[in-house]
Amino acid sequence: MDYSTQKPKVRMRGTPMDSSEPSLLFDDTSTGGQPSGHGRQDKAPLGYAGQTLLSDPMSNLAMAYGSSLASQGKEMVDKNLDRFIPISKLKYYFAVDTVYVGKKLGLLVFPYMHENWEVSYQQDTPVAPRFDINAPDLYIPAMGFITYILVAGLALGTQNRFSPEILGMQASSALVWLIIEVLATLLSLYLVTVNTDLTTIDLVAFAGYKYVGMIIGVLAGLLFGKMGYYLTLLWCCASIFVFMIRTLRLKILSEAAAEGVLVRGAKNQLRMYLTMAIAAAQPVFMYWLTFHLVR
Amino acid sequence: MAFTLYSLIQTAILCTNAIAVLHEERFLSKIGWGADQGIGGFGDEPGIKAQLLNLIRSVRTVMRVPLIIVNSVCIVLLLLFG
Repeated sequence: MDYSTQKPKVRMRGTPMDSSEPSLLFDDTSTGGQPSGHGRQDKAPLGYAGQTLLSDPMSNLAMAYGSSLASQGKEMVDKNLDRFIPISKLKYYFAVDTVYVGKKLGLLVFPYMHENWEVSYQQDTPVAPRFDINAPDLYIPAMGFITYILVAGLALGTQNRFSPEILGMQASSALVWLIIEVLATLLSLYLVTVNTDLTTIDLVAFAGYKYVGMIIGVLAGLLFGKMGYYLTLLWCCASIFVFMIRTLRLKILSEAAAEGVLVRGAKNQLRMYLTMAIAAAQPVFMYWLTFHLVR
Repeated sequence: MAFTLYSLIQTAILCTNAIAVLHEERFLSKIGWGADQGIGGFGDEPGIKAQLLNLIRSVRTVMRVPLIIVNSVCIVLLLLFG
């Protein structure tokens, strides 16, 4: 076959003037394929098709209109979604890094040596969790929740009680208890009329910190049996109790009482009871959600 | 123990219905929980009882119409799907 005559045919395939030439016969057989011709064949039709798509004014217009419509739709969805779920506020809670996560996990398990529990502010807005270990975040609770479900599946699997539906049941069960706990905390905070800057997301974050202790307890139960489970759960319950009290004391109680001075008065007493109740609910939930996993 | 999200929704609807059917003059005033009996003093912050009465009154006012809609939807769904 003749390559030199094939080349001009392939390149000028788009133009209709070439159809009068007798060498058009080569076009039909050239798709049968020699390797070099084949490569050129592949590129030319694509280039030809792309060129007509872009150069056609109608499709140009259609593409421009379609992209503007898509960006409009995306803007509308973002605006409406922002009304229900504050996306920008959520981003603050996920601004974490590895050092913060490591220190926070250590604090959740051993909060007894930490001195300063105040959240630092920067011109009236709280500092991102990356820079302040006392700030609540949503990364650890989210990861803890997912890990808890996986560990529950693992624990049930070692006892031959596993089936895929059970994972879903565990997940929705734990989620429902979390929602109930957050709603109960919100209700009690409303009834006691506490002027606090605790948002709902903060409460979700604090309620989610107990999953870390639960995971450690269940893993210890898997490795060391019931004794290990009870001992580690006891340790984690005590540390979560202390952690919650020390964190919530600064947010719920008034300034004087937070510094350790015993302030009399019904208001502060009620708030202290509320803090104790919220902190005491954590070990109860930790036991309730894990005791059926360790036999 | 095995809760689902659906049972949470059911609980929420039942509790809101329970609060909404409390009658103002036949029941709440009789036990001293009327809307006008909650406002104690104006100086200090309201106590727990005042907040609770406030909550009951606002739930009854706000949730009346949405509850009608939600209850009708529930009735239709339960009739269709058992």
